[in-house]
Amino acid sequence: MRKHTVRWLLPFLLLLPVLSWAQDERPPVTRAYFINNAYVVQEPGKVIDLGGVIIRNGLIEAVGKGLKAPLDAKTLEGDSLYVYAGFIEGLSHTGVPKPKQPERGSRPEVKDPGNPPNDVAGIQPERSVTDLMKADDKSVADMRALGFTAAHVVPHGGMLPGQGAIVLLGGDNEREMVLRANTSLYSAFEGGQRVYPVTTMAIMSKYRELYKQAEQVKGHAGKYAANSRGMARPEYDDVLAAFFPVIDKKMPVFFEVEDIKEVYRAMGLSKELGFNLVLAEVSRGQLVMDKLKSTNTPVFLTLDLPKAKKEDKKEKGDKDKGDKKETDEKDTDEKDVDKKEGDKKVSPEKKMMMDKAEARRDASRKELEEQAAMLAKGGITFGFSTLNVKASDVRAHLGRMIKAGLTEDQALAALTTNPAKMLGIAQVAGTVEKGKIANLVVTDKPYFAEGSNVRYVIVDGMPHEYEVKKKKGPSDPDAVVMAVGEWNITIQVPGQSTESMVTITDDGGSLSGTIASDGDSRNLSGVSLDGDNLTFGSKFEAGGQSISLSFDLIIDGDNIEGSVKAGGFGSFDVEGSRAPK
Amino acid sequence: MKKYNLLFLLLFAVAATLPAQTEKGSIHIKNATVITITKGVLENTDVVVTDGKITGIGKSLKTPKGARVVDAAGQFVMPGIIDAHSHIALDAVNEGTNIVTAEVETGDVIDPLDVAIYRALAGGVTATHAMHGSANAIGGQCETIKLRYGTYDPEELKMEGAPRTIKFALGENPMRVHGEGSGLHARTRMGIEQVFRRAFSEARDYMAAQEDYNKKMASDPQAVPPMYDRRMEALADILRGDIIIHCHSYRADEILMLMNVCKDFGVTKLVYQHVNEGFKVAPELAEFGAMASVFADWWAYKFEVYYSTAYNAAILTRNGVVTSINSDSGDYIRHLYHQAGKTQRYGMLTDNEALRLITLNPAIQLGIEDRVGSLEKGKDGDITIFSAHPLSVYAIPQMTIVDGVVRFDIKEDNDDMRLSVDPEDTETMMLDYDDDHRCMEGTAEELFKY
Amino acid sequence: MRFNKNIILYCLVCLFMAGQLSAQVVGKATKGAFLLKNATIETITKGTVKGDLLIEDGKITGIGGAVTVPASAKVIDCSGKTIYPGFIDMGTSLGLVEVSSISVTNDNNEIGDIKPYLEALTAVNPSSVAIPVTRVSGVTTVIAQPSGGLIAGTASLINLIGYSPDEMYAGFKAIRLNFPSSGARGRRDRRSPEDRKKNEAKKLKQLNDLWEETKLFAKIKEAKGSDASIRQEYNPTLDAMISTVKGEQMVLVEVNAENDILSALKWIKDNEIKAILTGCAEGWRVADEIAASGVPVVTGPVISIPTRGSDRYDRAYANAGAMKKAGVTVAIRTDQTENVRDLPFHAAFAAAYGMGREAALEAITIVPARMMGLEMELGSLEVGKIANLFICDGDPFETKTQIEQVFIQGWEIPMDSRHSLLYDEFLDRSPGVKN
Repeated sequence: MRKHTVRWLLPFLLLLPVLSWAQDERPPVTRAYFINNAYVVQEPGKVIDLGGVIIRNGLIEAVGKGLKAPLDAKTLEGDSLYVYAGFIEGLSHTGVPKPKQPERGSRPEVKDPGNPPNDVAGIQPERSVTDLMKADDKSVADMRALGFTAAHVVPHGGMLPGQGAIVLLGGDNEREMVLRANTSLYSAFEGGQRVYPVTTMAIMSKYRELYKQAEQVKGHAGKYAANSRGMARPEYDDVLAAFFPVIDKKMPVFFEVEDIKEVYRAMGLSKELGFNLVLAEVSRGQLVMDKLKSTNTPVFLTLDLPKAKKEDKKEKGDKDKGDKKETDEKDTDEKDVDKKEGDKKVSPEKKMMMDKAEARRDASRKELEEQAAMLAKGGITFGFSTLNVKASDVRAHLGRMIKAGLTEDQALAALTTNPAKMLGIAQVAGTVEKGKIANLVVTDKPYFAEGSNVRYVIVDGMPHEYEVKKKKGPSDPDAVVMAVGEWNITIQVPGQSTESMVTITDDGGSLSGTIASDGDSRNLSGVSLDGDNLTFGSKFEAGGQSISLSFDLIIDGDNIEGSVKAGGFGSFDVEGSRAPK
Repeated sequence: MKKYNLLFLLLFAVAATLPAQTEKGSIHIKNATVITITKGVLENTDVVVTDGKITGIGKSLKTPKGARVVDAAGQFVMPGIIDAHSHIALDAVNEGTNIVTAEVETGDVIDPLDVAIYRALAGGVTATHAMHGSANAIGGQCETIKLRYGTYDPEELKMEGAPRTIKFALGENPMRVHGEGSGLHARTRMGIEQVFRRAFSEARDYMAAQEDYNKKMASDPQAVPPMYDRRMEALADILRGDIIIHCHSYRADEILMLMNVCKDFGVTKLVYQHVNEGFKVAPELAEFGAMASVFADWWAYKFEVYYSTAYNAAILTRNGVVTSINSDSGDYIRHLYHQAGKTQRYGMLTDNEALRLITLNPAIQLGIEDRVGSLEKGKDGDITIFSAHPLSVYAIPQMTIVDGVVRFDIKEDNDDMRLSVDPEDTETMMLDYDDDHRCMEGTAEELFKY
Repeated sequence: MRFNKNIILYCLVCLFMAGQLSAQVVGKATKGAFLLKNATIETITKGTVKGDLLIEDGKITGIGGAVTVPASAKVIDCSGKTIYPGFIDMGTSLGLVEVSSISVTNDNNEIGDIKPYLEALTAVNPSSVAIPVTRVSGVTTVIAQPSGGLIAGTASLINLIGYSPDEMYAGFKAIRLNFPSSGARGRRDRRSPEDRKKNEAKKLKQLNDLWEETKLFAKIKEAKGSDASIRQEYNPTLDAMISTVKGEQMVLVEVNAENDILSALKWIKDNEIKAILTGCAEGWRVADEIAASGVPVVTGPVISIPTRGSDRYDRAYANAGAMKKAGVTVAIRTDQTENVRDLPFHAAFAAAYGMGREAALEAITIVPARMMGLEMELGSLEVGKIANLFICDGDPFETKTQIEQVFIQGWEIPMDSRHSLLYDEFLDRSPGVKN
């Protein structure tokens, strides 16, 4: 093993100690931007065709037709693009790194599991999420790439993880991101790990007790302030003090609910204790529509959904095949034997049973998909919370909700105007209007249309540009793909890119190769070509760590493109072309 | 296939849009053999329920407006079965982290979607005592629920106005979980006794501090109340007689111990659960007025039930102890009528004595006997109809009615009666039936089972 | 007990001898000639006969009217009573497990995965407290089975009387196989379906390897007979498998999930194995396939919850009947230890939920006897058969019915157990509260 590291690995090494690099930083050339000739959706139902937006110093300076490009503005080509207000996450952990989870079943070292310290018990309402954020957490870039520009974020944790803040999904540091701090008390039916409170019943009890103790201490403190001489002094307890603004109804409680039962439980607590409740991660909300309406409880629906049924693809296939597949995929577990036995006949009674089970699962899936549509129809205003959805699923899930009856305007409202109002930031966010914070999403087709791409996301007046990625996938199956040869590739690590040369050789049927930079080269492992898909790996050691790289590239004639996964650091884009002979 | 799917989707769509089923119903059951429990067995008799309450028992009664009419000729009608010890319809059973958890309430974790509710209805059960588990010497408060299957609202299951109850536990379970599991008190039956004495004493102190404050409050504006403590509040309520103790117990010595503790603290409302060696101290139980809720024939699964007898219920009954037969199981709850029948094999109880064990007696133990447990005018319309005499092993429950609303009808059973389905659930068979016994659910020994 | 003055007297003697402490010894059985007079005799195989039944030398020597009675015969008046053959439970842990939560009293689950050489009979405790508790209910004969692992060991049929396991042995042994399954072990089984599947495949391979190795082992062993130069290493596992692999000895194949049952049937067919399926909780889902295979089934517990949340509430009760209706040979077991006495109630639930009383009665008498090839000795009341029978005052499926006297191998069994003795002692306790 070489002691010194090859130069082309340098960008990865930069990732090792810290995930940021500050060298050569310089201010942006301008803080004014101009988008023109775009389709500007100011808010759901309010559109300016061939309109423009001027942004300056983080704010929207002007919106309208016939705007002139300010001289100091950088023009973002807006022709045939669509401009929306930046999306808002109603409740999320974006930018809040998840702490390491203890092993399942383990118990933290505590003296008495029945009476653990508050932090072990998950009771930390005094914490502010602003102290726990990381501006460069990957989730920020991920959610921003989808069009989200602001989020109501809360800490990870147990039943009372801390207080939320409204942040913008951009900025160089955590401080810059914060729009409003201490906006909510976040609560969840999330128990301790084998320490009190584990169960929901203990959480409910503890919640009541803390709340009532807080009321008591608050009352006591008030009396004490007025007449302290001769009076026992009130205990200082920052956990209880965190409830004071809630008791004063200056701060709402955001309850994360896992299912409909937890909706009832959270509403029960709110009714009993008298705090302002906001529900988040609601699913099957249509089942409690009347109750939501009568109590006027604000709701954020989950953007998470169960896996989609594969039916959609199959409908295109021939019918017989489709039917068979449906039986198969139903319970791979259950039906394997049938498969093995080939064309074994299924008795009508059994088939009916299977159909029925399948119908119930379908109905259940549909119920989840059409929640948003049903609530919209029922006249309930809602936003979306994103505590549990994977960023990569968000657009697909929105699409499924729209397919299930949610209109695009309703979806847009749930992403922009509704959460802005519900979070109390409608003055500064939620629409494309003069004077608001310049949070915008720019797409090449209407956002919800199939194949639309996000081109720019502007957060706090700073544009983030997104290349439209060429579709990866098998091209002409008959084309002969030549992997053998020399390739110049560029690995794009943020802040620094580097070039190297990959040489693939054919050893009589099997492939091998090297990767080289600055005359330094090393061997590739597991080189294989499947159609036009070239994959190989490489490894390097640095800082006592072994990092494995796995390349996944598509060859298109003399061009090569794809990504490389670098251990736990994530994936980076790779581009290149055949070296000239 | 496609057609079938559609039909079901339609059905579920309709079901989802309907408002929650009306809580009270009217029904007219005709020409049945009516086992009233309190007023004998009446042949060819009608039972009429109007808006959830029994309004008539007799011959050729008039059908109230809008009532469903059920011809039960040749069938047997009895009060809905009551299970004084159950863990169905609960999302959590044990808060096993502390040996005293008097402040937690199973009422907070009712699971109205549990299909075990429907299965219990199909066994003629209309009300259960949804109990905390037996991991702690002083477990959580329990909830008496009616099996109003079909609602999503946990609150709707709660039996409005039923007295508060709390779970206590003696012997092996709390000793294992806390003494052996956590290395904290208590590891012996000596230690368990002290848990009660300490808890009750602390509650007395808490009450005294509250009293002091209440006295001072009027005259002294600077008086400060003791810090609110839900555990102490619950324990104080036990001492005040507002909560009935239901104590998991097996051995004669520990049964006597808790009676002594209760005597010392002036607690009188005491029901023993399982109480396998209750028969050994039946005279003492009778004298104290303590009641017993027992298994029909479970024994020998652990050491403290090795010296047991299936004649327990019979001996207790003959000694004047108010006794019930419970299930403590998602399985046994479905055939409590059969379990009650076993007291005829083991102890030759009369039909009415045997049926009281699953109707009026558990009602008395839960403090709801003025509402349910027998068929009488004015009581709740909680009724079960059997194909044959309910103590016959061949009897099959036909219909179960709660508050006059039919919640189980064998003719309308639709196989899959779950209220909610996970769309990603492949629903394969479970090899062991660990839904069955949940008494120790949530404790460490169960966590590490796999 | 409460019906036999002699026994009560005997108990009193016992009590006295024990210094009036709680009595735990149930007393002695007696053997000899017994004439059960004026009974209704449910023979199972030959209809209902009114008349007498004679027991001599442990066998039934006469049934009906014309019975020659030796002078020494003890006469028991059975007017208004019914005689049934002793019930047979083909799956229990009786004698092997005393107190299930205390591991040192559990002799059913040995370490290891493939252990056909283990003999359940070795560990049957003739003094298990559960034995008298069981037999006074009319269950006279049970299979005591080992558990755990792929091949748990060799199960044995025992009569519930005797001072040694050998005395108790009732003439049937079978290897118990837990057929590989991909099913979840319960709600908290966190293995992924893929992992479970992999595990199943691994186990199945283990099983097939075992079969192949045993065949080779048997071949070498045979060759050794004619060629003394051949040496064969001590291999108890394969040695114990020979008769099973050759299809001479029965295998009890424990299998419950729908898919697993189908895999098991295929495996049984492919390997030409003499097998009985046990468990078969989801047998109703594949009843036709089981019937077509001709493999008999021992199912139970009948009184249990359905295996899936989507199942109709009574699926477990109706399982035995559904299989029987499809043409499967069905016996019923309890799969119990201390409550094997509930066997007639399990049969009764099966009867009520579709099986019918007659078939359910057969399922715990003659059907299991035939499955084990013991139909000439057990399972019905016929002259020449072993005198395993009981007298009762009604339908033994009904809880109200009292089982009044049990005979096992012609022994008149004391009708006491820990349960009845505690009843006798504590019903009217003395001293009472105030002495």
